Amino acid sequence: MPSVSMTVNGRAVTGDVEGRTLLVQFLRENLSLTGTHVGCDTSQCGACVVHVNGESVKSCTMLAVQADGAEVTTIEGLAKDGELHPMQEAFRENHGLQCGFCTPGMVMSAVDLLQKNPNPDEGEIREWLEGNICRCTGYHNIVKAIQTAAASMKG
Amino acid sequence: MADGSYTVLAGGTDFYPARAGGLGGRPPESKVLDITALEGLRGIAEEGDSLRIGALTTWSDLLHAPLPPYFAALKLAAREVGGVQIQNAGTLCGNLCNASPAADGVPPLLALDAEVELASQAGARRLALDDFILGNRQTAKRPDELVTALHIPKLSARARSTFLKLGARKYLVISIVMAALLIDLDDKGNVSKARVAVGSCAARALRLPAVEAALEGRPFDEDLLPRIGDEQLDPLTPIDDIRGTADYRREAAVALLRRGVEALLSQEAA
Repeated sequence: MPSVSMTVNGRAVTGDVEGRTLLVQFLRENLSLTGTHVGCDTSQCGACVVHVNGESVKSCTMLAVQADGAEVTTIEGLAKDGELHPMQEAFRENHGLQCGFCTPGMVMSAVDLLQKNPNPDEGEIREWLEGNICRCTGYHNIVKAIQTAAASMKG
Repeated sequence: MADGSYTVLAGGTDFYPARAGGLGGRPPESKVLDITALEGLRGIAEEGDSLRIGALTTWSDLLHAPLPPYFAALKLAAREVGGVQIQNAGTLCGNLCNASPAADGVPPLLALDAEVELASQAGARRLALDDFILGNRQTAKRPDELVTALHIPKLSARARSTFLKLGARKYLVISIVMAALLIDLDDKGNVSKARVAVGSCAARALRLPAVEAALEGRPFDEDLLPRIGDEQLDPLTPIDDIRGTADYRREAAVALLRRGVEALLSQEAA
């Protein structure tokens, strides 16, 4: 079995995986980082979004061996020293979730959006979330949360 | 690789869903050759009188690249390929190799007269995109060959293009019909070149020479609109399926082509 090494949430990790192991399986099953969810298995829902070398990707659309040597950030890596990331805080404050299943992917996508566009308008936020599906909220409070986070991260 | 037992993997955005038994319908091959570490195959560069788009260039790479206005159609199509994360992973060349009749990238690349560069131990060759995609999920790529790049011939600074897609909803949807239009103008403002391609209306996207002939040589104005008609759609063989009927597709194709000309006229006016 191939061996993979990567940095996940700042921690160096290695593991032996079958070649066909998806990155999301490696994160959930080998590293027990179950905050990254699997919603659809067909690269559509976005519940599994993580950052690989700073860019948001669907971790069901990548093999673990393809992330060999990469810097990976998952939802577990956002909070620092017990303090929620401003995006997580904004989702909490604005009730940007109901069942919470899509939330890890939503938050990781939204963080990537603000890295690229610190001041998005509502249309840009909604367009960015095309690949993140939420079946509960109707997106209204998610958009509000991202606007709040953008404001608080600027200040 | 030469014995055809490997599936070449780049962005994986078609491969993984098919592997999960989802939309692709083909059983996943057991052996995978991941080429994503070949950095030399990624990126867009000028090469004489054409632009070279490396095989690992993603849709996001394309969207962020400064390109001439006639790439507008391809950039509009890039935004229709899934959501952002899919655009970050999926590649233009993968879209061509997957050869879905509904591949968003194909009509704009046909309108750009793209050539596909293939490499094997026997050497390199180039095929016009129209000769590369043979049918529904069929290409002229031999098992021992790897697609290494696309080549797009440069056009004049006046050349413009646009892309329209009709789906059942706005986002994340498989096309019912899509159309790409590219025009170049001469000094008098007449259409010197028209290239028109329609997708999702045959086993592969096709150029429509009769529409092109109806536009070329004419003044670039609203009188072009009624010149586009149902009788010019001949190469298309749309089917009835869950997304629409053949008749609806023909009607929609004409509507999209006219809207495309309108969009190009308003680009020019702006």
